[in-house]
Amino acid sequence: MLKMTHLSKVYRTEVVETYALRDFNINVNEGEFVAVTGPSGSGKTTFLTIAGLLETFTGGQYHLDGVEVSNLNDNERSRIRNEKIGFIFQAFNLIPDLNVFDNVEVPLRYRGMKAPERKQRIMDALERVGLASRAKHYPAELSGGQQQRVAIARALAGSPRLLLADEPTGNLDTQMARGVMELLEEIHREGATIVMVTHDPELAARAQRNVHIIDGQVVDLAEDPRFHHAVHAARANSPA
Amino acid sequence: MLHIKPILVALKRHKAGTILIAMQIALTLAIVCNALFIIDQRLDRIARPTGLDESNLVIIRNRWVGVTDEATGPLIHGDVQALRQLPGVQDAISINSYPLAGGGWSTGVRVNVDDKKSKAHTTLYFSDEHMLPTMGARLIAGRNFTPDEVTDAKANAVDTPAVIIITKALAHDLFPDGSALGKSVYVSDTKKPSTIVGIVERMQVPWNSSWADAWAENAVFQPYVLMYSGNVLLIRTKPGQQDAVMKSAPEMLFKLNRMRVFPKENGVRTFANQRESIYKRDRGMAILMGVVCLVLLGITAAGIVGLTSFWVGQRRKQIGVRRALGATKRDILSYFLTENLLIGTVGVLIGALMAIGMNLWLVTQFEMARLSLAYVAIGVVALLLLGQGAVLAPAMRASRVQPVEATRSV
Repeated sequence: MLKMTHLSKVYRTEVVETYALRDFNINVNEGEFVAVTGPSGSGKTTFLTIAGLLETFTGGQYHLDGVEVSNLNDNERSRIRNEKIGFIFQAFNLIPDLNVFDNVEVPLRYRGMKAPERKQRIMDALERVGLASRAKHYPAELSGGQQQRVAIARALAGSPRLLLADEPTGNLDTQMARGVMELLEEIHREGATIVMVTHDPELAARAQRNVHIIDGQVVDLAEDPRFHHAVHAARANSPA
Repeated sequence: MLHIKPILVALKRHKAGTILIAMQIALTLAIVCNALFIIDQRLDRIARPTGLDESNLVIIRNRWVGVTDEATGPLIHGDVQALRQLPGVQDAISINSYPLAGGGWSTGVRVNVDDKKSKAHTTLYFSDEHMLPTMGARLIAGRNFTPDEVTDAKANAVDTPAVIIITKALAHDLFPDGSALGKSVYVSDTKKPSTIVGIVERMQVPWNSSWADAWAENAVFQPYVLMYSGNVLLIRTKPGQQDAVMKSAPEMLFKLNRMRVFPKENGVRTFANQRESIYKRDRGMAILMGVVCLVLLGITAAGIVGLTSFWVGQRRKQIGVRRALGATKRDILSYFLTENLLIGTVGVLIGALMAIGMNLWLVTQFEMARLSLAYVAIGVVALLLLGQGAVLAPAMRASRVQPVEATRSV
């Protein structure tokens, strides 16, 4: 589903070159739930933005759903983002001027979908996250957890091949975070491929697999003993 | 059409800016439409042909000093004869007024002796048989005056001549159903008929203001040399001799008789100078209106650029989110263009009504002409295009926002 080989991302200024990712390799199979972890500044978010085609990379190869994306133009990248990827952002990123229904509709409109099909998909997605009754509400009228559920509904409505979640519970309290996490797990059980970036060992423990990044490279989790232990401890305490 | 509904929904939540720009567009349209209409009217007025052959025409305003009107007859004949002999002069006349002079004689013309009301209004031009050739008037029917038909007339007691020449426009007003040539009419309140012996294609009245617009080309030529201490000498020079005659003619006239003055400001001038001076206000008004239009359009365009730039800055993250969710650069560009088009459409609809309302007020208050709807239509299209043009730069800036903006914290 997602395969990066010897991928690098370099930010250049006049005086300095900074490697955000260096010789980065990852392979996510269809139906997997992968947690990408690492300390602040390790390159997690850079990985996610490149994986989601929000940013280009400097070197290496990236195959998404069998397509090598480095030569795609801006329109083709937009189309792939729209059709194959569902984004869940830490800050929800709902459009404040639009109500819940219209927010979920945004990516479907860019796909050129007809109104009846859009409506059906939106209501199904809102039903799925338990917010069908809030379709006419504006984001400001919802709690953080509800807003993130709307964002998940927006990501699901387009039936993407890959869900990318960037610290999806980072802005939520424990109870809301648990609800959102359970929803993601449920979506995964139904067959979705999910790549979640997090620095939270408890969330990482709930994923099928952990990919740990330090200094822009994938490393064995054992190379970060504190995080390693935290993940193990979380797994041990998990009810599942 | 893709984004109209969500754009309208979003605009509802930004009422203040939306209403402000829509009203600015409306007001600009209303003022610009009326201003352009006034400009066009002024330019039309300036472009009206006088009927004169305007090149090689020199005008001398002659004021006799210490000479009664009655005594001016021989002096005027002497002047005209001498001018006709002057090198570089093709022809010359003494006349009471001329097109665009600013002042002259006007009266009514009746078709029947018992008519209580005039059939048409007209100006009167008095001079001899050299009048038409000197003015450069084109005779399209009948004949010119003969020397024996020309007489001297006191300025305060002009009699009715047996023969007159009129313009085509006046002929049409007097006899709309047939030829005026050979017909008799009654000029002013006389009971003595004048026979129309010639018809001239066109000759404008001396006034350029709107009160004479309805009869701007109605003129009667009468074969009188007016004995008047404030006569005008109209000189047709040979080609290329205009400047020389402007110097030699006044010198010669002073040599002939020093008891005269030529007003310093406009005593001796070419017809081109006269045209320039008489239309100065019209031209000034047209330029002023044009500047007002440009300033208004500039302010409106700047307002649109400013508001859109502000909105683009404010929505930078939102644009990034849209891009992340699959919007192409073109989708973002079209979002802002459509948003502007919607605001602009509301603005021009209100503006069109305001333009018509403003014109109706001007019509009732200042006797202005009715605004042609073509101006409103052109104004609507121009304002919408201006809006689209103004929004283009900020919209393109918006379209260049990268999708990665969606992941950045504000």
